[in-house]
Amino acid sequence: MDISILGGPILGIIPLGDIVLYFTPFNLFMFAAALAFTALIAISSTESQVEAEFGTLKNREVKVDKAEFKLRRFLAIVCGLATAGAMVTGDLFDFTLFVTLIGIVNIGIVAAVKEIDVLDAAFQYGLIAMIGTLPLFGGAALILASTGTISLLQIVQIPYTTSLMLFGSILFFLGVAGETGVAPFFATKAEMFRTPGSPFLLIIHLSSLLIIVRTIEILLIINKPF
Amino acid sequence: MTATVLVPNVVSPVVVGLFLPAVFTGIIVGLIGLLSISYQKNDLHALILTDIVGIGMLIIVASVGTDLAESLVLPGLVVELAEIMAISEILMSREIRKQGKTVDLMPMPLNLDMEVLTTTPIFFAIILVAYGAFLSGFTGGAIAGGGILFYVITRLARGVPANIWEGLAGASGIAWCLWLVGFLIFFVAPDYWLLALFLSAFGVFIKVTFKASLVGVMGREEFKKE
Repeated sequence: MDISILGGPILGIIPLGDIVLYFTPFNLFMFAAALAFTALIAISSTESQVEAEFGTLKNREVKVDKAEFKLRRFLAIVCGLATAGAMVTGDLFDFTLFVTLIGIVNIGIVAAVKEIDVLDAAFQYGLIAMIGTLPLFGGAALILASTGTISLLQIVQIPYTTSLMLFGSILFFLGVAGETGVAPFFATKAEMFRTPGSPFLLIIHLSSLLIIVRTIEILLIINKPF
Repeated sequence: MTATVLVPNVVSPVVVGLFLPAVFTGIIVGLIGLLSISYQKNDLHALILTDIVGIGMLIIVASVGTDLAESLVLPGLVVELAEIMAISEILMSREIRKQGKTVDLMPMPLNLDMEVLTTTPIFFAIILVAYGAFLSGFTGGAIAGGGILFYVITRLARGVPANIWEGLAGASGIAWCLWLVGFLIFFVAPDYWLLALFLSAFGVFIKVTFKASLVGVMGREEFKKE
C-alpha cells in the first residue's frame, strides 16, 4: 500500500538528513488546524472571564493570577506546536518524541491549577503517562527491530508484515493512548475547563484527537492491512 | 510473507538469540511493576513503583541494540526522569497544600554531620576529579562534578564560605561553546575529526563538571536561608 492512498498525493518532502518530513493533503490539513488553534491561543487574552450572575442583571468578572495564567498559556502553545510537528513528521522516532512532549506538557497544564482536586487528577494522569512510556518506546523499538528503520517512507516499501511488527504496533497504540489519549479524561475529571482563564485548555482535546488520528494512519502504513 | 533477517552476519548468534528473552524480560518487569502498583495504596510508593515500569521500557529499547535504538534510549531516559520529577513536584505541592501552607520551593533539610566530611574531603575530591578527567565526556563530567560538589558540601559543613563558585558558571558557558564548535567542525570540516572529537569530549567534560558543581552554589544559597 502506498502512502498516497491514505492521505492523498504526496505534495512534497523536506529531507533533513535522514529525517524526512512529507506532506499530503491529509497531514497538511491537520497541521494547519493545529497551527491555527495555537495562533488563536497565542493572540487571545483570556485571563479575565465574565460570568452572568443568577437572579440579577449584573455580570461578574473572574480574574486569574497573571503568572499562573502565563505559564499555562505557554504550555498550551508548546502543546499546540508539538501537535503540529507530529502531524507532518515522516519519522516514527520524531513522532514518539512529539507524543511524549505532549504528555509532559499536558501534565504541566493540568498541574498549573493549584487546587487539591486538580493536583490529584494531575498526579494520577502523571502515573498513567509514565506507565505509558513503556508501551510507547517499547513499541517503537519493536517496530525498529522488525523493520530495520524508523522512517515511514522506508517502512512503506517493505512488502511483508511480520507478527512482531503487529505486536509492536499494538504496544505503540497503547502507549499513545496512555500518553495523550487519556489526557482529556483527567482534564475533565478535574473540571478544568470551567476554571477561569482556561478556555484554551481545549488544546488538550485537540492534540489528543489529532494524535490518535495520525497514529492510526501510521499504524496502517506499518501494517498494510489492505 | 517471508521475513528477511536484518541482522548482519558479523553479529554472534548468541547476541541475536538474546533479543526475544530481553523483550520478554522487559514486558515481565513492566507487568510486575503494574501488579505492585495495583496493590499499593500509598501515593509515594505508587510513584516509586512506576519507575520500575520505566526500567522495563529501557530494557525493551536496549534489547534492540542498534545505533537507532540508542537514539530512543536517551530520550526515553530523559522523559522518564522529567516525568518522575514533575510528578513528585505535584505530589509535594499537593501534600503541602493539604496542610494549609504555601511553600513554593522544596525545603532542603541538609543537616550533614558525618565524620567523613571533616576527615577526607580533599582526598575524595581529587580522586573523583582525576578519574573524571581520565574518563572525559559526559560520564567523566558527572563524576568530576560529583567530586567538586562533595568538596563544596564538606567546606560548608566546616563553616567556610565558598565564594569562588560563581566564576565557574562563566567557564561552564565557554566550555559549552567549545563543545558546540567541536560539533560544527564535525559537519563543516570532517577532515579535522580528531580536533573536533577532543573539543567536544573535553568541552562537555568541563561543562558537566561545572554544572554539577553549580548545584553546590545553589545548595549554599539554601544554607544562607537557614
